[in-house]
Amino acid sequence: MNPIRTIFLTEIAKGLWLTLRKMFSRPVTVQYPEERKPVAPGFRGRHALVRDPNTGRERCIGCLRCAKVCPSRCIYIETERDPETKRMVVKRYEVEALRCVFCGYCEEVCPVNAIVLTEFYEYVGYRREDLYFDKERLLANWDEFLTTQKRPYFNPYWKPRGVPEKMLPAPKRKAEGV
Amino acid sequence: MAPTLELYTRKIGHPEWEEPFVVNMGPQHPSTHGVLRLYLELDGETVVRCDPRIGYLHRGLEKLSENMTYTQAMVLTDRLDYISSAANNTGYCLAVEKLLGLEVPRRARLLRTIVCEMARISSHLLWLATHALDIGAMTVFLYCFRDREWLLDIYEKICGARLTVSYPRIGGVRLDFTPEIIDELYQFTEEFPTRITDYETLIDVNRIWLRRTKGIAVVPPEKALNMGLTGPSLRGSGVPYDVRKFRPYDAYDEVEFEVPVGKNGDTYDRYRVRMEEMRQANRIIRQCLDKLAQTEGEPVVAEGAPDLLMPEKKKAPRAVPHPKKGFMVKGEEVPVVPEGEVYVSIEAPKGELGYYIVSDGSGKPWRVRVRAPSFVHISAIPEMVKGHMVADIIAVIGTLDVVLGECDR
Repeated sequence: MNPIRTIFLTEIAKGLWLTLRKMFSRPVTVQYPEERKPVAPGFRGRHALVRDPNTGRERCIGCLRCAKVCPSRCIYIETERDPETKRMVVKRYEVEALRCVFCGYCEEVCPVNAIVLTEFYEYVGYRREDLYFDKERLLANWDEFLTTQKRPYFNPYWKPRGVPEKMLPAPKRKAEGV
Repeated sequence: MAPTLELYTRKIGHPEWEEPFVVNMGPQHPSTHGVLRLYLELDGETVVRCDPRIGYLHRGLEKLSENMTYTQAMVLTDRLDYISSAANNTGYCLAVEKLLGLEVPRRARLLRTIVCEMARISSHLLWLATHALDIGAMTVFLYCFRDREWLLDIYEKICGARLTVSYPRIGGVRLDFTPEIIDELYQFTEEFPTRITDYETLIDVNRIWLRRTKGIAVVPPEKALNMGLTGPSLRGSGVPYDVRKFRPYDAYDEVEFEVPVGKNGDTYDRYRVRMEEMRQANRIIRQCLDKLAQTEGEPVVAEGAPDLLMPEKKKAPRAVPHPKKGFMVKGEEVPVVPEGEVYVSIEAPKGELGYYIVSDGSGKPWRVRVRAPSFVHISAIPEMVKGHMVADIIAVIGTLDVVLGECDR
């Protein structure tokens, strides 16, 4: 080591000068509960079932694609045929959020953009049942998300950017934001 | 007869009778970077024998993936080396693409290269932060985490997740970048070299740092090769082996970069190599961003890439788009994934990460084997710490940059 450097502690002084300079730069710390960082559009957070504004029901058609593709198998769906209209309706749609790995495969394979991972991430529960979302909870999640949402919402997986249109099912091609 | 106090006191100082002093370091030790447990036999403060005990984070990912389709198993690779998940995903996707014989579009290759290099920077930043903190430099830790936060924010904008990104997919990537992301990445690459200079000002010539790293855990090149070290740990010993140069994948054959190597093979040289690698990664990102402008509007998924929902059977009708109606119809029956076996390795931030996949023709992998660099590096710890002080074990674990999620799988 250089003797002048050893005696005069130049490298230590340089380091201290750097930290002193940084004291006057803008702080990057976010005081979390009081202030929050903006969430990026398309953040994969709490699950929700999209409520169709025309019918007031869920958009889901019960094709089971999301249940099949889910790597952690946390989606459970039961469908039945409506005796009056002779159409398939979703009887049960349940997501066990504690098992979910938030990969976003479900929203990507959904042909009608019914299930989404919303940008809402602050949810806790005291019991496991609190995070076991049934159909009503999932629809309520969507309503809650929409009321807190300030900007127009468009999930990037509704119509993945850069994926050729012919690879997408028709409802996904003309997907619109909310 | 129960041993008396006298017997114990007599034992001390008798070389033949003396038992080695055993210390269990970990699995909850903060400096073992996860749940690594080291069984140490000490002579005073010098390490006589070291025996790493692993398996505390075993989740059976290789076995789990046998019961999943290829696309589902990609999500598991996020959890291998959870600091650089994009690189793991890319390696797995490359292996499956080789099985399928898919040609990935150029734009997707560029995007993957960008996220891989971002993963490298963020991994090296976390390494520098924790390594410096272990050795005693707190300020560097805070600065590195500040900059890593920026990268994680960009990841969040790219794909919606910060750590377990699942961004690449078999046959390309899942989403294209938006212009805002490209602008922010330009801004990042503009600013990041000055940040590296800042870290170097703090610790590069700092006497405490030099005393703790120079001459610690010296690995000669031959020994490093024999122990199976890869990545920056090998290049620190002066062997210029880099998978990105030897077997270029994705867009690495299009970009210019240097492979930094060390001279002495000690902890300090490995530190220098990683710092230089961050600069090179920055350079690669910059070049890829420039090239992205040429491929504006091109698809990011290959033609004939498997659907996310892969059939589990051996043969299944391929989904083809209907010419008039706007949905997919069933085409001819083809094998989901051709039979065969494949080994693909990539240059992950920690070292050479290899995937060996055996396919029996169905939509599920018959066997997935991961060649994890951390696993090999942990096996080198006993050799490297022999004769060093207990405090230097921390430096050795830090310099090898092990992640137990990847080691135990």
